[in-house]
Amino acid sequence: MDPISITVNGKSHTVEVAPDTPLLWVLRDTLGFTGTKFGCGQSLCGACTVHVDGEPTRSCITRISVVGARKITTIEGLSPDGQHPVQRAWLEAQVPQCGYCQAGMIMTTAALLAANPNPTDADIDEALGGHICRCGTYARIRQAVHEAAKARGAAQTPAAAAGATR
Amino acid sequence: MSSSPNPAAAVTRRDFLRTASAGSAGLFIAFRLSGALLSDAAASSDFAPNAFIAISPEGEIRLVIARSEMGQGVRTSLAMILAEELDADWASVKIEQADCDAKYGDMTTGGSMSIRSSWDPLRKAGASARDMLLTAAAETWNVPKTECSTTGANAVEHKKSNKKLSYAALAVKAAAVPVPKDVPLKDPKDYRIVGTKRNRIDGQHIVIGEAHYGIDTKVPGMLFAVVARPPVTGGKVKHFDGSKALALPGVKKVFEVPAAEMPSLFGEERKENSGHQHYLWGGVAVVADSTWQAMAGRKALTIEWDNGPGADESSETQSAKLAELLKTPGKELKKIGDPESSFASAAKKIEATYDTPFLAHMAMEPMNCTASVREGKCEVWAPTQNPNGMASALASVLKMPQDALTIHITLIGGGFGRRLNIDYGVEAALISRAADAPVKVIWTRDDDIKHDYYRPISRHHLQAGLDAGGNVASWLHHIAAASTDSTFLGGEIPDTGGTEIAGTGLPGGSVPNYFLQQSFLHTALRRGYWRAVDMNWNHFAVQSFIDEIAAVTGKDPLQLRRQLITTTQKPAGEGDNEGDAPVNTARLLGVLNLAAEKAGWGKKLPPGSGQGIAGLYGFGSYVAHVAEVTVAKDGTLKIDRIVVAVDCGQVINPDMLEAQVQGGVIFGLTSALYDEITVEKGEVQQSNFDTYPVMRIADAPRVEVHIIPSREAPGGIGEPGVPSAAPAVANAIFAATGKRLRRLPFQTKELAQA
Repeated sequence: MDPISITVNGKSHTVEVAPDTPLLWVLRDTLGFTGTKFGCGQSLCGACTVHVDGEPTRSCITRISVVGARKITTIEGLSPDGQHPVQRAWLEAQVPQCGYCQAGMIMTTAALLAANPNPTDADIDEALGGHICRCGTYARIRQAVHEAAKARGAAQTPAAAAGATR
Repeated sequence: MSSSPNPAAAVTRRDFLRTASAGSAGLFIAFRLSGALLSDAAASSDFAPNAFIAISPEGEIRLVIARSEMGQGVRTSLAMILAEELDADWASVKIEQADCDAKYGDMTTGGSMSIRSSWDPLRKAGASARDMLLTAAAETWNVPKTECSTTGANAVEHKKSNKKLSYAALAVKAAAVPVPKDVPLKDPKDYRIVGTKRNRIDGQHIVIGEAHYGIDTKVPGMLFAVVARPPVTGGKVKHFDGSKALALPGVKKVFEVPAAEMPSLFGEERKENSGHQHYLWGGVAVVADSTWQAMAGRKALTIEWDNGPGADESSETQSAKLAELLKTPGKELKKIGDPESSFASAAKKIEATYDTPFLAHMAMEPMNCTASVREGKCEVWAPTQNPNGMASALASVLKMPQDALTIHITLIGGGFGRRLNIDYGVEAALISRAADAPVKVIWTRDDDIKHDYYRPISRHHLQAGLDAGGNVASWLHHIAAASTDSTFLGGEIPDTGGTEIAGTGLPGGSVPNYFLQQSFLHTALRRGYWRAVDMNWNHFAVQSFIDEIAAVTGKDPLQLRRQLITTTQKPAGEGDNEGDAPVNTARLLGVLNLAAEKAGWGKKLPPGSGQGIAGLYGFGSYVAHVAEVTVAKDGTLKIDRIVVAVDCGQVINPDMLEAQVQGGVIFGLTSALYDEITVEKGEVQQSNFDTYPVMRIADAPRVEVHIIPSREAPGGIGEPGVPSAAPAVANAIFAATGKRLRRLPFQTKELAQA
């Protein structure tokens, strides 16, 4: 096994794993970023979603060998202080029940809002359609996405806007 | 059982208690379910407390939670009850998850019982601690205790002299105060915390990815394992070859996990010679340096299975057996009047048959457990709803004394009853012992769905006889079902009484002639408790059938329910968790009426749309649903909204209550619309979320929750929001289309117009 270098949450790591190892298990088992969750292993539930160069990506089917120099962001690295507008909106709306799926939901929503600052309900359905919450928190997720969009819009300063996109 | 520190916790409970009780360092009150109290001097004795309040001289207020958090908010709501009576500053309260320990008594989290069983003891514990702090303050100031009061901000004050002392400052002195008896509890009108919205205690950790579930457990030197389990329940490994797996990088060990007989799940007495028993069925474990390597190793295994007699089963044989069972009399559970004669001579007869399938739980966190069984000790980190059951199973299977066991209860990524089972914990312990290393055993989604304890399949035959005036004179209900209880009791049919008949309580007792019979399906499939359990399948049949009677008699479904419920013969609550506790018909009518009112029951809807209603008493609560649906010409079903009315007595946290009901409705709708576990040659056919879908955001309807204010004792809320979802939608579909769907999941293709 040749060493593989990846960048997670702004920091470079070198790991020695088989090239077919999914990014999910490198993050969880090798690097200890357990905020990214295993739910289905087949890109069916979205619990494992991380950002790869800002794009929401299912880490459970993404081989480590294809990641290359692209920058990976996990829930632990979404914001320096846990105050990303999406995280704040999730708490404001009291979205989580068991919470297991929510890291994936939050990562997809953060990417959605970066690309589409004012998503409609249909946009939200499309973006989060690949995610499953068995506790059934969908109504509050929808509410939180809209609230996060509003909060981002209200944040007029360049610094706040930068923080909101990543 | 010992209580060695949980490395995951920043401050361990034991460390904290040591701090709290060492050298008169503070007030430390232990209490148990009876509500009896003792102070720190006695706490080191053998007295078995249920949970702890600790107030340190530094001002920390800590509550040990002896139930499992799986999304229902129990860590928050139990803390709220305690903080209320302690008159504490909510923001200052911290909680600590208890390890499994006999001193806490029953730690099972299930049956929507946590609030119900904790309401009295937690209030008394909080009030007693507050009383001791008041005593300590009065003695300090040498003033009458009656002149002292708590401020709601962790302090006692004496207004006359303008004196104030914090709980922290009083903690040492209060610890020496004799524990009071019969302290007065707060008047509910003075509640500041109970009944208000409070945010989930662990919410921040969840949204930043720092909440640690069982699957996130990390132990020094830990290896990872997956298991190839028998594809047919009851099967055994005939032969296996692990050489190819062992040749793969990172694979450390490959070995057979022996089958093991486990004790009954909740300590029930085993019935001898009675068929299906409670087994861990074994398999072949692959232990590796990482999860992925273990998974790769499993793919490289060659295994020949001896499938056993379970391989003769299929969904077709199960269905045929259920139909057969309904042809002959079942076990008589309840008989009022002369139902057979009454039905035979009825002016009009109505009959229908309803089906509900086997179902899987599909918690988002797949089954997993981390275990370290070495040097005569066993330590596990388990996402479990049933630590006591796991302890007795570990002791029995490992042949270890209870005091050699430590069970850490982790945060749970969804339980829904699956984690009342303890198979995955026993399996992990056996694997760790054989590997002589700490091991985290992870189940893939395929493992999780194929080796679940399924909600039993059922078929119901209902008959109603109407008199000349169109009144229901007789009601006959024959349930044929696989039994959950038999998986754990070892018996297929209970010797006495009924089992799993929740949801049949109405209208039994409301009609003059009533008959309830039950027959059991023998099956190799493991059966388990699935959120709201038997209430789901019985309620679907009963609430659908009430509407069928309404349709035949030309009555409004709500009006018929009112008539059945207000009849002079008061319905009993048989089959509810309350045993024979009578239904409070006024409260049941209250939720039906409120749901109807809020939904605009009877309003004019466009063609293709309809409303349906269903209501229940269960888990100590009264809950009614009105569903509004639209059915397109091609049969496509859209659920427009669900309106729910809840009377669960005293509400602890209305926001969490709403969340539980919203989620419960989605859970019920998922079962109504999508899912069934099917079997071919004994093997479960579903493997992931593609073949066992869960409702997604675009299909999730608006769920409105309306709460009836009440000071009655709190009822449960984790489960009673589930069962009415399916029948309310079935009834709405009928109202919209005139077509009656009697089978779950709904076969909506039957709704397409020719």
